[in-house]
Amino acid sequence: MTTTPVPTPGEDFMPPTESDLAVEQVSDVETPDQWWQVIWSSKKARVGIIVLAIYVLVAIFAPLIAPHDPLDGSFEPLAGPSSTNWLGTTTSGQDIASQLIYGARISLLVGLFGGLFATVIATVIGLTSGYAEGTLLDDGLSFLTNVFLVIPVFPLIITLVAYSEVRGLWLIVGVVAITSWAGAARAKRSQIITLRNRDFVTAAKFSGEGTWRIIFREIMPNMSSLVLASFVGAATGAIAAEAGLAALGLGDSRNVSWGTMLYQSNAQGAIAQGLWLWVFAPGLVLAILMTATTFINFGVDLLSNPHLREDA
Amino acid sequence: MTLLDVRDLSVRYEPKASRPLDAVQGVTFSIEPGEFVGLIGESGSGKTTLGTALLRLLQRPGRISGGSIEFNGTDITNLPEDELRQLRWRDLSTVFQSSMNSLNPVVRVEGQFRDAIEQHSSLRGEAVTRRIRELFDMVIIDPKFMTAFPHELSGGMRQRVNLALALALDPKFILLDEPTTGLDVVVQHSILENVRRLQAEQGFAVLFISHDIGTVLDLSDRILVMYAGRIVEDQSAGALLREPLHPYTKGLLGSYGDPREETVKITYVPGRPPDLSRTMVGCSFAPRCPERIQLCAEQDPPLVPLHGGRVACHVAVLQREDGGAERFGEPKRGFEGPQFVKTADESRSALANEVVLSVENVSKVFERRRGFTLTRTEAVSDVSFELRRGEVTALVGQSGSGKSTLAKMITGVETPTQGRIVFHGPDGDKLVSGFKGRALRAYRSDVQMVFQDPYSSINPAKRLGYVLSRPLVNYQGLKGDELRERVKELLERVALTPADRFINRYGYELSGGQRQRVIIAKALAVEPEIIVADEPISSLDVSIRAEILELLNDLVKENDVGILYITHDLLSARMLSDEVIVLNHGKVVEKGPTLGVIREPKDDYTRSLLDAIPNPF
Repeated sequence: MTTTPVPTPGEDFMPPTESDLAVEQVSDVETPDQWWQVIWSSKKARVGIIVLAIYVLVAIFAPLIAPHDPLDGSFEPLAGPSSTNWLGTTTSGQDIASQLIYGARISLLVGLFGGLFATVIATVIGLTSGYAEGTLLDDGLSFLTNVFLVIPVFPLIITLVAYSEVRGLWLIVGVVAITSWAGAARAKRSQIITLRNRDFVTAAKFSGEGTWRIIFREIMPNMSSLVLASFVGAATGAIAAEAGLAALGLGDSRNVSWGTMLYQSNAQGAIAQGLWLWVFAPGLVLAILMTATTFINFGVDLLSNPHLREDA
Repeated sequence: MTLLDVRDLSVRYEPKASRPLDAVQGVTFSIEPGEFVGLIGESGSGKTTLGTALLRLLQRPGRISGGSIEFNGTDITNLPEDELRQLRWRDLSTVFQSSMNSLNPVVRVEGQFRDAIEQHSSLRGEAVTRRIRELFDMVIIDPKFMTAFPHELSGGMRQRVNLALALALDPKFILLDEPTTGLDVVVQHSILENVRRLQAEQGFAVLFISHDIGTVLDLSDRILVMYAGRIVEDQSAGALLREPLHPYTKGLLGSYGDPREETVKITYVPGRPPDLSRTMVGCSFAPRCPERIQLCAEQDPPLVPLHGGRVACHVAVLQREDGGAERFGEPKRGFEGPQFVKTADESRSALANEVVLSVENVSKVFERRRGFTLTRTEAVSDVSFELRRGEVTALVGQSGSGKSTLAKMITGVETPTQGRIVFHGPDGDKLVSGFKGRALRAYRSDVQMVFQDPYSSINPAKRLGYVLSRPLVNYQGLKGDELRERVKELLERVALTPADRFINRYGYELSGGQRQRVIIAKALAVEPEIIVADEPISSLDVSIRAEILELLNDLVKENDVGILYITHDLLSARMLSDEVIVLNHGKVVEKGPTLGVIREPKDDYTRSLLDAIPNPF
């Protein structure tokens, strides 16, 4: 069928041979940036990641860093900052600095697992219902999503926690996860609806792929930025919810978290007594952690919208 | 006086993450008032960047890095935005490439006209409405659509509206950037005729950007050929057709042939354009050029005047010097690259093969319930044909003619309302109807599909090795080394060699033609009996279409599959198919051996499809 190029006469010509002309090459564009490179390229995200890394290190090495046991009430109550008690002590004679350092553990664990579970629920429900758009399955799952969207979340959490027998970390994680997935599931549902009619999905059907594989192996990798962004959002929400619950006195009193610190300080009338450090220290570290995760989210945004990358 | 004068214009992209590249390099040309200039080149040649730069619409990371643009005596290269705003639309306007989406979806068409007209002129109220009516008449749309929302208009109508919008303020210059890409051939044809007529009547100047030399030749007075960011040839349309100077132009011209001939040859330009972010020595076209000489690899040819035009090619210049013909050979008109030839004899023998799929009196009716009324649309009515092993049947028709519905029924996704489709497979006959679940999966090991858009049919998040391995795992249960070997074989089968270099690539790293090869390899993986190819070349550059046609043709010959080739383009149908079925409004209006139908079309509709093929010869 093919006629090879005819050699051209004339001495000055290089006879073009087939191999010369077979210039079917791959462009040497390097592989595009991996997701971590993209996130790292944003200045804000870099700041966020560094701050978060410091928090993680503090949480892991809390026993090495903290000068005292956070529940040890043997110090002089209401002492000001000193070389033994860096940030002073509480009304019951506990070291505020040590509480702050140990408190990082709870907050980060709740953030990690609360965010993770909420994202998993949101992903499974959102993707399944979006892929099955228009069917009874979708109607059912959308109904469920809508119910969770309209329920006032905070009162529900408070009720759930108030009536439960145990008040451990995992209860908080579980409650936060099942109350906060709905919005993210909605977002994922609408995203998969735009993706599921792409040709590559039809192509996957033609190569014999099953439904689950299509959803989670073919489509999901194309929305990883959305999944990651919703994880960051859910983790931030979980940390805030834990602190809020603890501050209302619904936390686990055997553990020290920034929320329980706030609760204790409030209960003891710290502000009225002028114990600013007791209130501000946990509040501030919490605020910085939220800000850090929000900054990381700026980097995550670059993943989903490449146009932003030039301005980063 | 010259209307648009571009001197030594360069555009540089400086992305943060990758190497900077010069998308437009030292381009110089001018356009006279009322002149119709075509700008052609394949994707990635920098033609759209050049167009955007002319309108000063470049966005970061792109910027004009050198040269000047003078419009109507004013230097607009560095004009502040506020002053540009006065010029845009009133003096220079445009119809964009993606103009299907360039109308605001929440504003009625009339409102969009009104905005533009009131911003730039003193017309108000009733006078504006009159002007809009006039514009609608100009582009032949019923003025009743003035109050419609953009989504209520068809693609062709939207494009006419865009054209009318561009003309709203009697501009002196219009940039048309592939204004008809993605539209039907017939619609495309009528819109372009419209443009040409209006241009002749109103005397505005046009720069018409396209990758399709056929349409450009039909319309333009003068043609600029762009390759790798430079103008490589500038000639009047007539001269370019008679005596193309640059080998690249010859390659582009070679992608058309006369479908009525007994034997049709079309050539293609192998390979792909160079990576502009690297420095090049010598002529940028040399690696793909069949006429290159030693000098081409050493020196970059300047754009020099020759034969009343301009060309950037050593060989063209040397051949035309005194005594040059003896030393460098006579100038050639054709592109001596690879070509794809189809003779009438091949088709005759194919039509005697064994039948693999028969479609018998098939109809498909869609019912839609709205309130109490039931609307019935007959998408396909009473269609019969047979598909043979080792043969290609072309299903030709414009959008809405029912070809996609027919394809869905043949691939087992939809059930025919009436009639039946029988697949004569290796395990006996099988009645094809809307299969579900396992049955559909099993049927797909016999019937595969090649998609229209190679850009969206490869999962962007997966490597090619994975994409190709999935059908093998699912249908043949291959594992480990055996699987890897088979994937490599497939890549080599579609001439993506060496396979090792492709196996770990992502789809978006390849050119359109290469991607389409991957899709074809994937369809071949399950060793199907039938391949349904749904306009597999319509989103590819005209210059590389022939290579995909050739690959499909080889498959038919060697693997003995039957191909159902769905298209709206009769030339490609002629190149590939043995039998053609012309579909209009769901009915078969013509059917027979391809050459016969093309030589003696009996139906008006077939004739209009034939007329729509650009024929520069």
